[in-house]
Order: sequence, then C-alpha cells, then structure tokens
Amino acid sequence: MGPLSREAWAQRLGAFRMSPSTFMAGAESEDLGRDLLSDLRNEKLSEPTKVSLLALSLEYPDKLWPDALAAEAAATFLLDTLLLLPPRPSALRRPLLLAATTTLLVGGALSPTSGASCRLLPLLLGLALGRDVGRGFGPTSEQRLLQATACECLRELESCKPGLLRGSLGLLRSLSGQAGPIQPLSMLLALVLRNTLVVQSRSGAGLQDLLVAGVFSPGGGSWDWTLAEEADDQLLPQTPSWPAAEKEPGLAGLEPSPEEARELRAAVAQLLDTSYLLTTVAQAQLLWLLGWALRGLRGQSPVIFKPQLARLLGTAQVTLLHSVLALKAAFGEALFTAQDEALLLRRLTLAAQHPALPSPTHLFYLHCLLSFPENSPLGLEGEEAAPLLLGHQLCRSLMPDLLNDPMAFLARLHLLCLLCAEDEEQEKGQVPSPRQYLLELLAGLRQRAALDGSPQDLATLCFQASYLVASCLAMQPSVVKPLIHGLSQLYRARPLLAPRFVDLLDRVGPELGRPLKEVLWQEVVTRPGKGEALCCHLQILEKVAEGGAHRATLNFLQAAAIHCTDWGRQQALLRVCQALLRTGGGDGLADLLQGLARQLEDPDGRDHARLYYSLLVHLAGPKLRVALGPSLATPALASSLVAENQGFVATLMVQETPPPIRLSVEPHRAKGPLPMLQLQVEVLDPAYSLELRFCVQGQLYAPLKAIHIPCLCPGRPAHPLYLPLQPRRPAPAQLHVQALYTTPTGLTCHAHLPPLTVNFANLFLPFPQIPKGSERDFFERLWDSCLPKGVESCVWCPLGPQGLEALVSHHLEPFVVVAQPPTSYHIAICLPPDSMLLLRLEAAQVDGVPVVLRTNDWDLLPLAGDYIRGLAAC
Amino acid sequence: MAQRAVWLVRHEPGTPVCGTVRFSRRFPTVEKRAKVFNGASYVPIPEDGPFLKALLFELRLLDNDKVFVESRDSCSRINKTSVYGLSVGGEELWPVVAFLKNGMIYACVPLVEQTLSPRPALISISGISQGLEFLFGMQDFLYSSQKNDTELNTKLSQLPDLLLQACPFGTLLDANLQNSLDNIGFASVTQPQKQPAWKAGTYKGKPQISISITEKVKSMQYDKQDIADTWQVVGTVTCKCDLEGIMPNVTISLNLPTNGSPLQDILVHPCVTSLDSAILTSSSLDTMDDSAFSGPYKFPFTPPLESFSLCYYTSQVPVPPILGFYQMKEEEVQLKILVNLKLHESVKNNFEFCEAHIPFFNRGPITHLECKVSFGQLEVFREKSLLVWIIGQKFPKSMEISLSGTVTFGVKGHNKQPFDQICIGSTAYVKLHFRILDYTLTGCYADQHSVQVFASGKPKISTNRKLISSDYYIWNSKAPAPVTYISLLP
Repeated sequence: MGPLSREAWAQRLGAFRMSPSTFMAGAESEDLGRDLLSDLRNEKLSEPTKVSLLALSLEYPDKLWPDALAAEAAATFLLDTLLLLPPRPSALRRPLLLAATTTLLVGGALSPTSGASCRLLPLLLGLALGRDVGRGFGPTSEQRLLQATACECLRELESCKPGLLRGSLGLLRSLSGQAGPIQPLSMLLALVLRNTLVVQSRSGAGLQDLLVAGVFSPGGGSWDWTLAEEADDQLLPQTPSWPAAEKEPGLAGLEPSPEEARELRAAVAQLLDTSYLLTTVAQAQLLWLLGWALRGLRGQSPVIFKPQLARLLGTAQVTLLHSVLALKAAFGEALFTAQDEALLLRRLTLAAQHPALPSPTHLFYLHCLLSFPENSPLGLEGEEAAPLLLGHQLCRSLMPDLLNDPMAFLARLHLLCLLCAEDEEQEKGQVPSPRQYLLELLAGLRQRAALDGSPQDLATLCFQASYLVASCLAMQPSVVKPLIHGLSQLYRARPLLAPRFVDLLDRVGPELGRPLKEVLWQEVVTRPGKGEALCCHLQILEKVAEGGAHRATLNFLQAAAIHCTDWGRQQALLRVCQALLRTGGGDGLADLLQGLARQLEDPDGRDHARLYYSLLVHLAGPKLRVALGPSLATPALASSLVAENQGFVATLMVQETPPPIRLSVEPHRAKGPLPMLQLQVEVLDPAYSLELRFCVQGQLYAPLKAIHIPCLCPGRPAHPLYLPLQPRRPAPAQLHVQALYTTPTGLTCHAHLPPLTVNFANLFLPFPQIPKGSERDFFERLWDSCLPKGVESCVWCPLGPQGLEALVSHHLEPFVVVAQPPTSYHIAICLPPDSMLLLRLEAAQVDGVPVVLRTNDWDLLPLAGDYIRGLAAC
Repeated sequence: MAQRAVWLVRHEPGTPVCGTVRFSRRFPTVEKRAKVFNGASYVPIPEDGPFLKALLFELRLLDNDKVFVESRDSCSRINKTSVYGLSVGGEELWPVVAFLKNGMIYACVPLVEQTLSPRPALISISGISQGLEFLFGMQDFLYSSQKNDTELNTKLSQLPDLLLQACPFGTLLDANLQNSLDNIGFASVTQPQKQPAWKAGTYKGKPQISISITEKVKSMQYDKQDIADTWQVVGTVTCKCDLEGIMPNVTISLNLPTNGSPLQDILVHPCVTSLDSAILTSSSLDTMDDSAFSGPYKFPFTPPLESFSLCYYTSQVPVPPILGFYQMKEEEVQLKILVNLKLHESVKNNFEFCEAHIPFFNRGPITHLECKVSFGQLEVFREKSLLVWIIGQKFPKSMEISLSGTVTFGVKGHNKQPFDQICIGSTAYVKLHFRILDYTLTGCYADQHSVQVFASGKPKISTNRKLISSDYYIWNSKAPAPVTYISLLP
C-alpha cells in the first residue's frame, strides 16, 4: 500500500481504535505496523499526524509488533527515524523516544543482546544527564524537554526491570543537585535508589560505592542486566500494599556501614528537601516510595519525614493525604506519636465531610477512616472498624441522613453501625441515641421504597442498608426486632419487592433470617391475593414455607390454585409444593398434590403434580430430599451425587427457550363445515413431542385445540398444519402461540412464538349443497332473505390491470354461485357461526366494479367494505 | 503507582447504547506489570465497546435498568466508594475508579502491585488516590471555562497530546493538565534549576494580586421544638498572583472583626509552605468555646501562575442570615400555605437578588392560586407546580415579610410535574436563593495592607467578597422533615 493521506490515516486509526481485535482480524491488519513506521518518514505527512501515529504505537505496540523480533525491528526503525530528523525543533523527538522505550519493553525485546536496547539506553542516559549525545541531537531549546523525557523513559525501564540502572545511581545523584529539570530527575533517582536498596538487601550485598558518583561511559557498561535477565517475578512493587508488605522481611538483609548510612540519609534528605518543587502527585509518589524503602532499614530514622508532614496535613489533596496515611502505615508509632495520630485522624474526619471537597474524595476518606492504620489496632486484620480514637464527638458530623447520596449514605451508615455495635451501655446517656436514630433512618428508607412507582435505586438502597445493619448488629434484639417488623410492613405495602426479599433472605444470617421468614409467611398466608400479588406471594412462600406443612400454607395454596390459570403461575405454585416436599412434606400435602393433578388446566402442571404426589407417597423423607436435589439457585457441591441430582432437577423443570420453529399462515382453499387455518412450519432447531397451544384474544372463537407433532428436524420438509377455527363471531383475531417440546438432550422446554393473525378472508366458507341448475334461484332467495333484518350496501371495488375475471378467480372462485364471465358474478359467502355475505359484481368498468352487497349481520359491513376495497391490492 | 487505562465516557440516555467512549488511553508497559503482579487473578483491560457496556450496567445508567438484577443489585453487594468491579467476559475487572459528573463518566483502572485475591484494602493501593486525582484533573480541564459542545470537543481533541506530557507511561506527572498545555508552550525557555514543576514558566508584566472571598451559607430550618435548626458557612479564598520571579513569596492574612465568627476546618492549597498549629487544629468537630482561635489567619505561599483556591474554611455563625418558617396544610382539595421570613438585623440589607422558591412535588399542575405577599412579587409556574417569590434587593424596614394563601392542583400528568423522593405527603420545603456582594457572614476579609510580598515591584492588590446561599431550606413545620443527627442534639 502506498503512503496514506492524513484523512486516510485518521480513518484507519479510527477503525483500529473502535475495536483493535476486529481490525486485526481483518485483511488490512498485517500492513498496519509496517505502514505506520514507513509513514513516519513520509515528508508529505504533517507532524501532528505523525504524532498521532506514534500515539497509537504507544498504546498498542503488542498489536502492531506482537513478538520480540518485530519489536526489536520496530524500535530500531524508530531510533533511526530519530537520528534522521533535521536539527530544527520537532514535535517528534519526544514521542519517538517514548515509543522506542514502550516497544522494547512491551515486546519483551529489552536485553543486552538487542541492538536497539544497546542504542536506546546510552542515548537516554546521556540525554538524562544533560550530556552531548552527539550528531546534533536536536536544538538546544529542546534539550530540557528531552532530558525530562529521557528521565521518564529510564524510570519506566527501571520500573519494569528493577536494578537495571543500579550502576548509574551515583551519577544520577550527583546530577540531581546541580542542573536539569527537578521533577523527572528526583523521581528517577528516588526509584533507582529504592530499587537498589531492595536488590542489594536481597542479594545480601552492601551498598558498596553505589551512592557515590561513578564514571559515565557513553558506550554502556553501567547497565546491570543480571536482574533484568531474570524472570518477570523479580518485579518490585513500588508502593507495596500493606498488610502484605508488613510481613515482608524488609531490608533486614542490608547492613550499611555508618558511612553508607550517612550517604543514604543525605540522599533521602536532599530528595525530601526539594520535594515542594514537585507537583502534588509526584510528591505523593516520592513519599510513598521513600517511606516504604526506608522502613525497617537500620540506621535510618523516619523522623526525616517529619518536616514534610506538618506541611502536608494542612491540605486535603487526595494523593498527599493518602501518602501521609501510607507513611503512617509504614512507620506507625516511630513517626506518629499518639497526639500526631489523633491529629491525623481529626484531619481525615474533617476531610471526609468537608463541603469543599468532591463526593468521590469524601467516600475514599470514609473508607480510609474505617481502615485507618492505628498505632495499636484492636480489631481483626483487614476488617473495617472505627478507630479507637474516633470518638462519638468526632463521628457526629459523619452520621448518615436521608439527603446523602446512596454511596455516602451506606458508608456513613456502616460507621454508625460500628458505633452502635461498640458498646450498648455507653450509649445510654446519649441523646439522641444513635440506635434510635439508626432505626428512624431505616424507617425513612422503607417509606421511600414503599412509594408506588418509586425508582429501583431507592429499593436497592433500602435493602442494602437493611443487610448492612443486619450483618453488623444481628446480635442486638433492640435493632433486629423493629427491623423485621418494618420489613414485613414494607412487604405488605409493596409485594412487588418479593425478589429483593428473597435475595435478602438468601444473604442474612439466621438471627434475622429465621424471624423474617416467620413474619413474611404470616404476611402471605393471611393476605391471599390475585394477579401480580399472587406471583409475589408464591415467590416468597417458596422461600419461607417450611415442612410439616402448616394447614394455613396448604389452605393458601389450595385457594391460590384457582387463580393459577396460566402455565407460569402453576409452575410457581408447584415450586412451593416442591419446597414443601424438600423440607418434609406434611399431612395435607398429598391431598393437595392429588387435587392439583386433577384440577390444573395445564397438562405439564398436572404431570408435575402427579410426579410430586408419587414421590411423596413412595419415598421416605431423606430420600425425597435427595431425589429433589438442591435447587439450581444454591451453589452446587462438588459431589457426583449432587451433580446427578441437578441433572434430574433440570429434566423435571421446564426451561424457557427461544422458539424452535417459525409459523406462518398460508392461503388455503376453504371447504368443509369449519374455517381452517393452514400453517406453514419452518424448523429452526430439532424438537420432539412438540405441542403447539393456541389462545385467541377476546373469546372471539371457541378454545382452540392443541396440535401435536411427534418430531421436527431442520432441513427435513415439514407438512403443513391445519388448525380448525370455531368462530363465535365472524371477526379477524390474533392467536397467541406457545410451544412445549423436548430437546434432543431430553430437556423439556417452553417457548412463546410470535402471534398469528387470522384475517377476515380466512373465515370464509362456500355454501354447501347448492342445488345444481337452480343456482340463480338459490342466490336470489338468499339475497331476499337478508332484508329486512340485514343490510344492503354498495362498495366500489377498484380493479387492477387484470380485470374483473382475474380478480374473481384469484380471490372469490370457491364462492361464486352464478357467473357470466367476464361481466357479472353473484357470490355467496358463508361465515360461521350463522352469518352470510352476498355480493353482486356487475357492469365492470375499466378501473373498477360497483359491488352491491347484502348481509344478514350488520357487524360485517365495515369488515366486508375493507375487504372489497383492498382486494385489488392483494 | 500507575494507571493501566483511562476513559472518558459520555452518558447519553435514550440512545441504543446509552453512551459513547469519547476518549480512552491504555498504558501497555503498566499492563505488562499488572500481568506479573496480579498473577492468576489478572484480568486484562477490555476494548472500549465491552468496557462501555459493563461500566454503564454497573453504574445503573442503562435505560432498561429498571429491573432487579441480582449480580448488581443484591443487598450484599454494597459499594461505599467510587471504586467498582466490572463484569467483563465472565471475569471481574477491579479496581475501576469511576464517577459521573455533568453527563460525563470519568474512569480509570489503577495498577495493583500484588495479587487481587484476596483483594487488598483500597487504602493500601497508591493508584486509587492517583486515579482520583487524574480524573479530577481531566474534569477540571474539560469544564474550566468550557461553555458548549464545540469547546468540549476541542478540549477532548487536545487530550491525547496532553496526556503524552502529563502521563506518558501511565504514571501521572501532573494532575493540572492546563499546566501541561502551557508547558508545551514554555518548552523552549531555558528553565533554571529551582523552577517548580507545577509552574510552567514565569510571569512578565505588571505585578498584581487579586483575592476574592466567597462564602456560601447553607441551612436547614424546621421551626420545631425537638429539632434544632442548623446552618453553616463554607468559605473559599481564591487568588491570582501575577508576580515576576521564579519563586515569589506571598503571605496573605485573613482577618475577622471583633465579633466575627472563627474560621474552622481550614484546608489549604499545597503551595502553602507552613501553617500555624492553631489553624491546623481549629475544627467544627469540637464544641465551641470562647478560646477558639480567631485570627489573623496567615497563609505564606509561593503562588502558581494560574488562579487557585488558597484555602477553604467553614464557620459556625451565631444566627442564620434569614430565619423563617413554612406552614403547609392539606385542606380537602387545596393546600394552605404560610411562609414567613425575617432578615437578621446584623446582615447587610442589600442583595444582588433574593428569591424564595416554593416547589410542590408529586402533585399535579397548579390550577388555582390565591396568594398574598406582604412584600415583593410572586411568579407562578403552573405546569412545574412551582411558586417563586421575588423579594428583590432589600427587605422592608420591619425586616420581616410573609406570604399566605391557598393552592389547588389538577390531576397529575405523566412525568410532567417533578417527582421527589423526600417530599412525600406534606413534607415540603421553601428554598432560598440570594446573593450579597461585598459582604461575608463571618466578617472575614483580606486586608490589603497586611498582604506581604517578597518579589520585585509593589503589586496592586485587589480584594472582593460575596455571600451566596446554597442549599438553604426551610421545611414545612406541619409535617415530618429529613433531619440530620446534629439537629437532634440537645
């Protein structure tokens, strides 16, 4: 492919960014890396376009050059491009350095044997140290920017290959005191210093003369490949997470001589002293890095950080305060006395609710409060707890209220729960009592969740708060009792929240779970409902109904069965029975199941009821539980028995699936005593014992019989299906279709098909037994019989180019009684149960024919009119 | 301490996907480290499409989010921070720092330098605060002085170049992106060694300093025996220092008049070099007494080039500027309302504007209104079910004004009238909006003569002050109202 224009590149990069994997799977993918490199030297492209190409290579080098070989070649090309740039200012030098570094690192090509590495490293170090790297490398005005960039590149190299720059530590140190941009040099030095300390302590070696300036040799030699060569697990966390880091041996292996210790202290002090010149995020990194580097190092007192702390505690900059907390975690009492700790805690509490700070910061500080690294922690490691020094006074301003946003509310509620959990006795003197306040808050939440049409978020918050309180204060009856009472009220007000109640029951412990089940059960069985409420009740009952089946439960189910007219509800009802079976059955259950086996409308429901009945009367309790197995919702055990049972349960359950077939209504020649719908079947998936159920809306027709088909396979021709219709009124209708079938794997499935439309013409039947020879008399008799009860009307029937004869033969042929083609037709249509439609089509003109119609049924008039007017268009 | 990737997502409710990724940047060298550190628990950064879908789902920002989804809405899945786990391709990507602001979702994934199972506490992950700062930085850049979509698009198109400066490898170098933009411009200038990294260059021109103090007052008034009214002042001191030299030193003192209210909860800008311990410890968390430090509050600092917030404070003034009560009762088909407002005599009676908004939630449109105001005018927004009482520039001599009348409502239209989850039944409020120029409620002022500047030339110093209302609520005293814990204290 030749060089691309700016627009073409923009388009190509856009397509790539949209979905790199899709792009790379396409035809253009292979050339992308190559084209990108070659166009970097294309003089027709502007610098901004080239920068955007380099930006892509910074983000996706692994996609462009997936292996070490390709990465090495690409990096070499990038370095060559760098050298070929004319000696005037250019926006490309910086991204080229970044891209070469990224490509080598990500491609895994960085090694002493790699040519590109051996060119890049001395170049970067030379630039970083502000030395002349030769060959007129950019104008002097750009030097400072490139020096900073080189430092960043080296820092990234050192991050990915710790110890690589160990040999240059002295050089860097000597430089950082003199010239050059302060931030990049300080950050690089801090990282190299830290890594050197860790690497030396691991290998048991001392600091030797590493801290003192070495000699710079442009040809290399100051690179330490020993560690870089080793496996990736040598990576060192720069900012280790405690408490994991606390368990590490630290730098105990390092035993610096007094001389070395002094040098080290001086190096650290120098970095800290100039840290105010760094941006706040860089300051935070520096403190974090140096803090954890010096932790546990002999001869280094953390007091060196103290002057920084006084300055930092005044700000609430999130990175800075976070780094102070990291120092706190690293050094504890050695850096923070009890008073210091109290002050830090106060500042943190203050920041966690200061109106001038944004909400994500508040939330983070609240988290920090509950995970505060205390000098002498009492609680379990890793568990959130209110720090000891955080008394009620400090907490006051962190109490939740209903105006908080959900996350802030939950965070504050957790704190309140922890306070309530602390000491029941202590609270007695307090007005208002935190516990009372907590209960009022929960009541407020429930009131909002109970509102009809209130958003889902409010319900979610209400249940999360209830769960949080239940898990923190489960042992306190003064909290649990009102909570349970409130929840049962909530269910009464809004049974639609049933799935959330089931979820809550699944999560909470027995202290709340058991009594809550009890009150919900009471709530359900004493308030039977219909419609949606009944579904919710059944859902709850499945969860809360216990074995030894209470008479009340059985009565409820018995009463509910009458309202369970559709398949879904019947299944819900049977699931409750199943739950009862699992938990021990009970006397009346057998009667109920037997009743259901007769009473339920749906054959599937009847089958299930019969099966459960058989299981109940034939199996003893424990076996019954095994046979019914765990429900699919509970986590499966790794036992083969359980797995088998799950299979059993799966075969018993009817699964909802996408339809295995497609149905369409075909035109059909009417005959016989009833209108018949001819259905064409298109098979999508194999289905056995298929039962198609049809249901018509509005009782226009008598209930329709189901159609049974033993087997359907895709690819094999399927016979058309005939569905007889028994209209109660001759009107078009929509048929709802459900399919119940078995898959080849033996699972029973259930699917809803798109509804079918029965047109007016589908209901037409010819008059039977017209006496041969006296058709005209027969028609005239019918014609006269329509009036006076019926109606006569005249409709204009537009004709297409084929004319009247074609129209009649196409649409009305079976119903023609008297015909004088091509000009006159007398047509009689029978519409069960007892309507008729008579048409006289005479004196056709070029574009239409006047139709005189009579019918004995006024209701047919609009339908007939529409039908006739629409004939030509069909 | 690095980020694996960062995104800007525009939330677009009503569109098929409900959002678009406006900007994204991945950092492959950090990703490589993540793979090693996270080990078996490593989950790769997804492509933009799947990420967008998972993010919107988790933040409940999809249009069809109205049903209960256990994996997200379960009561035990409690999220108390802006850090999320996103389900992507059957695995969970964690930690994702994300928040929604002005229709834009800011998101990033910080590097965690250890295994993710068990999850380490957020406090011990340095990348979390860095990620937050990064996202705030982007937000400031996008929305400072940005007025329309065109400007937003311009700023978005600048981001790739800016991030090349501010975050070339995923480790944030400067959260102030505007600074990075200026840095590109200043690149050719040779900088001396002690040039701070947060200052792109040096100012050349007439020396001047402007200091503005903005106080916002918020209040919750109940007019009830057992619930105490609450109010609080939040102050922001903003500075712009145009001074020559690399590191000019400035000290600004904030003073209070003799009866002024002490400043508390003071947070300062990181450029402030030292703080008096009295400033550090003066806090609203303590019970007040007469010994509270009342200034002068000295802030020595080295200013950055741009305008910045030198400090924030809160204060507890003895009385709210406007004290009022609101009585609303439902009488058959109509509401009877009575609002009374009284300006405290100590407050400057010269407003830029002063209005009382009386909204009626969860009801139909206003069909009939009979109202009398003792002062000012009343505007009616029938469809929005809102009354706005325009009080104007001054309270009358008596300092006390009232509104009384009856309101009747029509049938509630679908989604036309405002819904509120707090104002159920007769729970209702009046919200005050006002602004007073050249005035602070605490009395706090920056004395021009006490500003010390250690730089060449005598700068021109300008100061200004203003008081603004914010969340100033007066609740219906005839119905329950949301209370804070503090208002229940005896």
